[in-house]
Amino acid sequence: MFDFPIFEMPTIGLRMLMAINAIIHVFVSHGGAVGGSVVLALAAWWTNKKGDLAGYETVYRLLMVFFIISTSVGALTGIGMWIHANIISPNAIGGLIRVFFWKWFIEWIVFNFEVILLLFWFMTWKTKATTAEGRASSVRFGTYYAVSSWITMLIITAILGFMLTPNFDGQPWIDPEVYPGTVNYNNALFNPTWFPGLLMRTFSSIAFAAALAIMWTWLITAFSKNEEIRATKERLIKFFATIMMVTVPVAAAFGYYYLLQIPEAARAMIPTAMMTRAFADKMDLMYMIISGIGGAVVITTIIAYFSPKRMPYIAATLMVAAFMLFWGFEERTREFIRKPYLIYNYMYANGIRVTDVPYLNKVGILKHAIFVDEKDKVIKEDKSNLVEVGHTIARIECRACHTENGINGLKFLTKGWSQEAIRNRINNLPGGGTPYMAPFVGTEAEKDALAAYIASLNKRGEIK
Amino acid sequence: MNWKLPFDIPLVVPTMGLPGWFFDTLGIIVFVVHIAFIYTLIGASTASVLYNITGVFKKSKTDDLLAYKMTNPTTISENMGALWGVAPLLVISVLYTGFFYTAILKVSPHILHIIYGNIFAFLLSYAYKFSWHSLHNHKGFHIAIGLVAVLTFYTLPPVFMSMSNLYLQPETFATVQNIWDIMLTPLTSFRLLNFFLTAFSFTGIVMIYLGVKWVKAGGEDAEAGRLAIDQGKKWFMWASPVNIAVLPLVFFAFSPRISEAYIHTPFVFLPFAASAVLTILFFFLLKRFGNEEMNLGDATKAMVLVIVAVVLMATARHGIRVVSFEEPLKLQAEATEKYMTDVITEYKAYKEEMKNAPAVVLDPAVSLADSKGCLACHSVDTKLVGPSYKEVAAKGESADVLTASLKNGSTGKWGETPMPPQTLTDEEAKTLIEWVLKQK
Repeated sequence: MFDFPIFEMPTIGLRMLMAINAIIHVFVSHGGAVGGSVVLALAAWWTNKKGDLAGYETVYRLLMVFFIISTSVGALTGIGMWIHANIISPNAIGGLIRVFFWKWFIEWIVFNFEVILLLFWFMTWKTKATTAEGRASSVRFGTYYAVSSWITMLIITAILGFMLTPNFDGQPWIDPEVYPGTVNYNNALFNPTWFPGLLMRTFSSIAFAAALAIMWTWLITAFSKNEEIRATKERLIKFFATIMMVTVPVAAAFGYYYLLQIPEAARAMIPTAMMTRAFADKMDLMYMIISGIGGAVVITTIIAYFSPKRMPYIAATLMVAAFMLFWGFEERTREFIRKPYLIYNYMYANGIRVTDVPYLNKVGILKHAIFVDEKDKVIKEDKSNLVEVGHTIARIECRACHTENGINGLKFLTKGWSQEAIRNRINNLPGGGTPYMAPFVGTEAEKDALAAYIASLNKRGEIK
Repeated sequence: MNWKLPFDIPLVVPTMGLPGWFFDTLGIIVFVVHIAFIYTLIGASTASVLYNITGVFKKSKTDDLLAYKMTNPTTISENMGALWGVAPLLVISVLYTGFFYTAILKVSPHILHIIYGNIFAFLLSYAYKFSWHSLHNHKGFHIAIGLVAVLTFYTLPPVFMSMSNLYLQPETFATVQNIWDIMLTPLTSFRLLNFFLTAFSFTGIVMIYLGVKWVKAGGEDAEAGRLAIDQGKKWFMWASPVNIAVLPLVFFAFSPRISEAYIHTPFVFLPFAASAVLTILFFFLLKRFGNEEMNLGDATKAMVLVIVAVVLMATARHGIRVVSFEEPLKLQAEATEKYMTDVITEYKAYKEEMKNAPAVVLDPAVSLADSKGCLACHSVDTKLVGPSYKEVAAKGESADVLTASLKNGSTGKWGETPMPPQTLTDEEAKTLIEWVLKQK
């Protein structure tokens, strides 16, 4: 079933378009908002309790950085997730919003508290900083902000967890027999990956935010003309490093627990997800990368804790870079291991619902492609438009993951293949070699057309 | 009419048993709050840059102070505006899924400007605000930052308006190919004119309101407050008369089907009512135009009136949805139901067939070949990407040579496409090679 207008992103591809937005969003929402709120509220509380007014002032400058990034890049890429998902897979996001409408609405209400509390905390900081009661009330607002931003994560990760493990205890999310009636969304929300996923995210976000805070504290104090502000470097870096000493191991433990909860079929996809297909066999390389990233974080944390004054800037950035690599990997892996599904057992990666497959195999994928020109939908008797029709099918079924000749381009993937070889490949798509590919959906004639189109990509301009 | 409509998402609309008007009202309320902040954002950011410029030319500290003070409503309304924009989209995307998503796809990738253009404008507006004191001696540069931010904010409504005009008129789905087909239409120009005029009328009142508060606070702020009240009145008096004329006409710029149907609904009175409210407000302020100061009561009354006008406009706009979607929603529901009946019938038959199908007993070697992905490139009797297993067996290579090719890969034996090395145990390799050699 595909009846929306087709939008393609040449060269970079739709997958990459989404990934860019998603990964930026994760960095900022996790590090900036959720983790940042906790770390900064703690730092404000701690400096105020110690009567360290210069430290309290440095925390304000840190908050300014976090405020700017969270409210611009973070909030807007959050809305961007929806718009990007809409462009790539309207059926998937449409279905999710129907089912989770009230959850998303509640999340939006909590998000209101989050933004208003952040605006209030930041914009009234200066006027409240002059008295002890003012500072105490300011810290309270910081705490409320931290709590509300954590609650938004709680709700969103439930929906994410659902996409990975929508049904458990043998209870399907949607029963095809009574389709489209009942949706079992409470089972979908409280699913096995939610709780460990949430806790892994919570603690690694706090750790990431602490690493960011160390990096920014370094910069702010190094460039300050104020002697007292410069002197806060050592105390604050040590404080943030302490937070990391606690949260990094806890996050790692919950990460492992999370891994154990992932269904076996999805777990089997991890090597390909993390290393791409070309390196899927080199698991030892993957372990080396993971140990490298983990080791970098651990070593820099120890340096920051024991020698905050001498900690080099490069070490602080290394720490942040390691976290970014970790989150980038985590996001890519989580998105990938769901394949060939977008929503397990309900919808394939290309937006075609599992229940639609037998029907579409009978009538053809193009019958209901309402926004496609008639001339590109029907194969002529002399088959003169086979390639054009095949192109339309590729745009419907393949464009979510493949481009024509850019990233993951069909042209390069099938170089040197005969048309018959391509057709055979389409025949056993999820198959042994590529378990993550969605099956071909459509009639035999449409399969011919798709094979003809893909084969034509490497034939163009060839002198016969 | 030749409609090109997508099917509906075949999942129940999550109403929790609440009536349709509840969602309509919810949609209007959240939209009004959103648009009020967006109006303020446009007006306040413009005012800040304008007074920054006049501050330099007139060497006026008061102008400069007002310019600085206007960065606060800018920050608040950009954040709250973006935040409250999510809620109406959420409501619309659930009630009118197919129309809304079709429009977004049709105006892609330009719709992404709403995300990336906004991030750019936000960052610049923060840079403008937070560098106020440090760039004090580089006013030209500072103003340039503010100006680029404001101009970027101005580019966002045309994109968004195009999307919203498209989804409101499903009859245009068949003809509109990209964003320019809808942006460069009289309807979009007309609605943009109405939008910007309302933005300045609305911010005019916000400035009067803020001005009254600053005058009350006294000191330096009082001067900036008087200036704000003065500017607020001017903006309102200038923008509103044009808007009063434009407003009722906007609703007739939609496609003939919609405009004709709209005339016969009570919604048609709402734009006139909004114009009437703006007229009342115009005379209310005209009476107080000469007064340098206004009291909080008057400012509050003005605020209430302008919000009433915006609510009337938003409800009138909702009328377009009601009128426009009646027929296509019905058609869409019928088509979706028919499609889903066909789909479920076929799916049930397929499941039944699978249940009764005899279990296929595969040779363990075939299952192994499939699980290792061999069959993606090879088949038993036809050449695919690689040679058929029959050809391989016929070539007569020894089991050891074949095992080496399998485990380490090979090139040049069968044309230019290389065989990549495979990961498998000795036992698995043995099973596969024995099976391949049997295929002669």
